[in-house]
Amino acid sequence: MLRVMTARLKSYFNAESFCVVGASTTPNKPGNVVAYNFVNYFPGKTYLVNPRGGELFGKPLYKSVLEIKDQIDAACIIVPAKYAPMTLEQCGQKGIRNVIVTTGGFSEAGEEGLELQKQMLEIMKKYQINVVGPNCLGLYSPALGYDTMFLPASKLKRPTSGPVSIFTQSGAFGAAFIDQLSRLGSGKWVSKFVSYGNASDINETDALEYVGKDPDTRMILIYLEDFKDGRRFMEKAREISLTKPIMGIKANRTETGAKAGASHTAALSSDDEIVDDLLDDAGVIRVITWDQLEDCVLAFGTQPLPLGDRVAIVTDGGGAGVMASDMVSDCKLSLAEFSPESQKKMDEIFPSFYATGNPIDITGSATAEDYRIALEAAYNDPNVDSVVNICIPVIPDLDIHKYIEITKEIAKRKEKPFVTSLVGGEEADFAAAELLKEDIPVFTSPGRAVRALGMLTDYTKYLKSRGVDPRKVMVEEGK
Amino acid sequence: MSTINDIILKGRNENRDALLEHEAKEVLKKMGIQIPPSILAQTEEEAVDAAESFGYPVVMKLMSSEVLHKTDEKAVMIDLNSAEDVRSVYQDFENRFKHVNVAGVLVEKMVDKGLELIIGTNTDDDFGPVILFGVGGVLVEAIKDVVFRMCPTTEEQALNAISEIKASVILDGFRGLPVINRNELAKLIVNISKLAWEYKDDILEMDINPVIANSAGLHPVDARIILK
Repeated sequence: MLRVMTARLKSYFNAESFCVVGASTTPNKPGNVVAYNFVNYFPGKTYLVNPRGGELFGKPLYKSVLEIKDQIDAACIIVPAKYAPMTLEQCGQKGIRNVIVTTGGFSEAGEEGLELQKQMLEIMKKYQINVVGPNCLGLYSPALGYDTMFLPASKLKRPTSGPVSIFTQSGAFGAAFIDQLSRLGSGKWVSKFVSYGNASDINETDALEYVGKDPDTRMILIYLEDFKDGRRFMEKAREISLTKPIMGIKANRTETGAKAGASHTAALSSDDEIVDDLLDDAGVIRVITWDQLEDCVLAFGTQPLPLGDRVAIVTDGGGAGVMASDMVSDCKLSLAEFSPESQKKMDEIFPSFYATGNPIDITGSATAEDYRIALEAAYNDPNVDSVVNICIPVIPDLDIHKYIEITKEIAKRKEKPFVTSLVGGEEADFAAAELLKEDIPVFTSPGRAVRALGMLTDYTKYLKSRGVDPRKVMVEEGK
Repeated sequence: MSTINDIILKGRNENRDALLEHEAKEVLKKMGIQIPPSILAQTEEEAVDAAESFGYPVVMKLMSSEVLHKTDEKAVMIDLNSAEDVRSVYQDFENRFKHVNVAGVLVEKMVDKGLELIIGTNTDDDFGPVILFGVGGVLVEAIKDVVFRMCPTTEEQALNAISEIKASVILDGFRGLPVINRNELAKLIVNISKLAWEYKDDILEMDINPVIANSAGLHPVDARIILK
């Protein structure tokens, strides 16, 4: 297949006419959901195809793409695998160059499926068709009204438009993560979503190349199990990570160990260690667990990058402060030493039993006003690069509503990363929900909050090591 | 003067899956990499002449495709300090390896002790040629303090790799050890990554282990190149 120089996914997302092949009249069937999505949200022209003909959502059902007179820029094929080659052939004859095949039952499903995928490849070559899939959710962009995710909106909630582009090998991961993002904070997160499934044609590297160039994508989140084009992926990632953060999961870490070889080098070449080092070298922030991915979105999607690694911790509980401090060193961060001015201010105002070092422990006697004084002292201090705001709201004199207001005020300044951890029960949950509504990052444990700062700071360190000013990379501005 | 391709071709023509150490070192030399002075001696007299011309101590190694684990088979003798030593080792090799096909005996100027590092390359299914750098020596596989980069690598990538190994601190003059010139080391890594990249159709794996780093510089004292 010809590798055209422009990112191939661009012609999918830029399509002005779209055809749903396999539009179903049965509610909630995949072909019905995708037809609904395009008829209702896609600003371009939508055509629906179903061999039985008739009408759906007020649009005629063409019996075949070949019956349609107008030009079609992109299509989604949602038919059983055995009919897919014939359908693709017709798309080729019609001159459709960009096709998404969401159906499963191909190379992932044994001999027969593999044979079907081979047939598809022949047809792709013959007509020079680009294919996303098969066996995937396809593409989603809320701003473009582009949605081939065949799960009904009553089940899979859609996040709205924002700075994050996501690409994933696993459709199920994609569906779950999209659903999660829909209820994270304001839900305004997604720019482009690409689920490429079996990657018979368009693969992880094509997706990376596209979102790397896409001006609406401010950060890139990935889920991979293997590489189809690993070398080019690393080369592209190295370029792109200088302007947008790339982060995500490369799962399948234990599948293969080092293969026996004749050299020490071969004996030391475990697949995952190589992947880990190359991702690191390419500036990709690798996380291991699912919860870290959501933390990534919250941290990178809402906060400016820190300019250094010096963290200030404000807490009303000693234990939480100690655990946060431990995580500071685990994440290769450092505890800030306050400037004499901030130190003096706190020492003058606070009672002597408050600890005004770092962590600043305003104890179980803390009021919301104490939080204001401590948080402002830390936030305004030039020796502090980022601030952790820990609150265990069970203490008697703390007005939680005031605390929420104070936290919001500081969070809105966005001069440096500011993360909050609310630990406890009902009141903690209430405060967390209030803050998250405005996309103020709140984490369920102090460790998670600090770890989020660790990821931001790792990226700052990487940019600095490559001679890039971290202030030039602005993700949250896109929100 | 044979080229790198000639050396590889010779190995292939002799149906070998690896280059002999002196051939591998010749390849490194062609890449502009400094290796300790050495001569492949075919006779006892040549061995003595070589040793005398370098000055003592010297190392002698038997070059044979039938003797791959040279240390295990006592085909490497180090710290030889006189013509008598050289003669007696040469005669010992002749006795013990008389039924083996031998390319010669490599007589090499012995490098002063230092830090033992490894630079190696491998061919990865996903990423093609990759280069490894780390703590070398015989314990390399047990210590596993290594880092990978894709070939060809830049000096900047190599410098980062050097600072990423856990033992990075020992490169800076740790407890009386020599201070290692990181830029020189990065250049060496870049050079070897270039070799693996330019000859990716021929070279499967490579071990330069150890590279001895001492106050005089970097010395690749053993080299192994496995052919595809």
